[in-house]
Amino acid sequence: MAQRLVLRRLLSLTPRTLSPQGPLAPHGRAFSTSAGCRNTFNVQDGSDFQDRVVNNPKPVVVDFHAQWCGPCKILGPRLEKMVAKQEGKVLMAKVDIDDHTDLAIEYEVSAVPTVLAMKNGDVVDKFVGIKDEDQLEAFLKKLIGA
Amino acid sequence: MCNLHNGEGAQNLQEGQCEVTAETSQPVGFVQEKQLGDHEKTLKAHKEGKPQKLLEMNGHTPVPHAYDYDLIVIGGGSGGLAAAKEAARYEKKVMVLDFVTPTPLGNSWGLGGTCVNVGCIPKKLMHQAALLGQALQDSRKYGWQFTEEVKHNWMTMTESVQNYIGSLNWGYRVALREKNVTYENAYGEFVGPHTVKATNKRGVEKLYTAERFLIATGERPRYLDIPGDKEYCISSDDLFSLPYCPGKTLVVGASYVALECAGFLAGLGLDVTVMVRSILLRGFDQDIANKIGEYMEEHGINFIREFVPIKVEQIEEGTPGRLRVTAKSTKGNQIIEGEYNTVLLAIGRDACTRKIGLDKVGVKINEKTGKIPVNDEEQTNVPYIYAVGDILQDKLELTPVAIQAGRLLVQRLYGGATSKCDYVNVPTTVFTPLEYGACGYSEEAAVEKFGEENIEVYHSNFWPLEWTVPSRDNNKCYAKIICNIQDNERVIGFHVLGPNAGEVTQGFAAAIKCGITKEQLDNTIGIHPVCAEIFTTLSVTKRSGENILQAGC
Repeated sequence: MAQRLVLRRLLSLTPRTLSPQGPLAPHGRAFSTSAGCRNTFNVQDGSDFQDRVVNNPKPVVVDFHAQWCGPCKILGPRLEKMVAKQEGKVLMAKVDIDDHTDLAIEYEVSAVPTVLAMKNGDVVDKFVGIKDEDQLEAFLKKLIGA
Repeated sequence: MCNLHNGEGAQNLQEGQCEVTAETSQPVGFVQEKQLGDHEKTLKAHKEGKPQKLLEMNGHTPVPHAYDYDLIVIGGGSGGLAAAKEAARYEKKVMVLDFVTPTPLGNSWGLGGTCVNVGCIPKKLMHQAALLGQALQDSRKYGWQFTEEVKHNWMTMTESVQNYIGSLNWGYRVALREKNVTYENAYGEFVGPHTVKATNKRGVEKLYTAERFLIATGERPRYLDIPGDKEYCISSDDLFSLPYCPGKTLVVGASYVALECAGFLAGLGLDVTVMVRSILLRGFDQDIANKIGEYMEEHGINFIREFVPIKVEQIEEGTPGRLRVTAKSTKGNQIIEGEYNTVLLAIGRDACTRKIGLDKVGVKINEKTGKIPVNDEEQTNVPYIYAVGDILQDKLELTPVAIQAGRLLVQRLYGGATSKCDYVNVPTTVFTPLEYGACGYSEEAAVEKFGEENIEVYHSNFWPLEWTVPSRDNNKCYAKIICNIQDNERVIGFHVLGPNAGEVTQGFAAAIKCGITKEQLDNTIGIHPVCAEIFTTLSVTKRSGENILQAGC
């Protein structure tokens, strides 16, 4: 898709895709008050992924998504909500595949959304496409429990 | 090559060589690892120029044999990607270098080339947006009632279109990865025989070598070379992702790009003017080109004929801003001025062949047009360098042509195939508000080639059934076939002006490839009620001068 240097980022602001620690301060919208904020973060680069996902003692679900992907916009918030319900036992990392193509290629992402379940640096589970809340809950519980 | 003199070592070497090469007399000649033969055979080959030919076949000047790649493709568009994927099927080591130099306004895009990003795909989607607007108007007569006024939101449409394009960009990357084609988002240029330099957007340079190269760099919009053109005007490279509605627009040009863009912009409700230097749709059937122009005019698009812009100034900044355009007549000294929010330049496209180091490897280009002449196997004057797509001289600038040429070329290079790309009877469609599909000769070209007395033109107006209820545009749609009288009235030209022209034309293109005659066409039973059935019942010839106006159904 076309990239216009600054405009693209500004125009694509939605509350959900920005973490509170993100470099661009959101203007004039309320922070999400759900616990989701603390358990979800946007991956900044390769070494950030290494630190916060691969080397994380807690299990992490990685949500590979893209700006142009409709289903991703449905799955994202839904997954965040279910992650929040697990009260910190699992974290969620979001990776935009256009911004971090190397990571997406490394983890063999073809279609989006692709969600990986990672524990101790290994991919222990995965799914592609949309799932409903019950299915997501089961997926997360399996990751935490196993 | 080792020098054999007399001596002990030499004796052993000679014997060893005899064993390995199974030749009986020395010296044994080799060229590029191909054994020519013993002393006698080598002398004979030398007289026949064989070593030279072997060298030339692979375009060699001495360069190491271990190339990085079998094939490097410069340009990741329709032609380049098709060829790269095909080559990977033959297990060749392939690299694609794709890089988009940003437009003067800073716009760029992902992998896939012009068609996917700033051509066919977004164009057709926006054309569809305009058609839906028309459909909404028609729908009232079909009983649909809506209380709100219908208006169009440019940002919503553009976001949807760009999202789809994003998925295509990603899809291409995945496709290349799955086929083990190496892709680099870097600007490729030749620096020496068999060697390219790839520069990425951070300025990092890398060198790569390959046995063969395919140039598929395509074209970019031309600018007018007048004050204000690059600063204030946009091109098709910018239009499809413009982050604000263009507003009142002046489209400069009369190419299909100009008319298609003017067409959908007007269809979305914008005030559109087209400034034309001379004729519409040069190269297309002019009879039809004029009908297209008339239709557009009747539907609210203004035409300024025989003028060219000489200056563009900014009155006010903004998104969009306000621009003043000054234009001069091509027929005298008359000067006019106009105010527009946006000026879209669509005056032609230039091949991207001047800054890729072709001079360093000796590839000849047409200095005037920048196009590359190739033989009928898409080979340039340098044997190991090939070219496909819009940059080819005297070939059609269409995505399917580039794809076909790219695929067949690779099949010939690595698969032992012999089929060459057939550039004759290639169907096309222009997606102006009244769509135009064509295959074969235009009327003018047919007259020139065969002589007016040897061709028969059958034609008719038609009224799509769907337009009758809303009482729209009777006697605007038009069907025409051109037949070669001396060859069984074989259909050599097919033209349709009407809705879904592309869908209609595709099937007839296959028929024309099979050599369909007028009689066979007449023997084909029509499907009712559709527009295309008119082609099975054409009876009035242009020669007869009979009336072809339809009087309702």
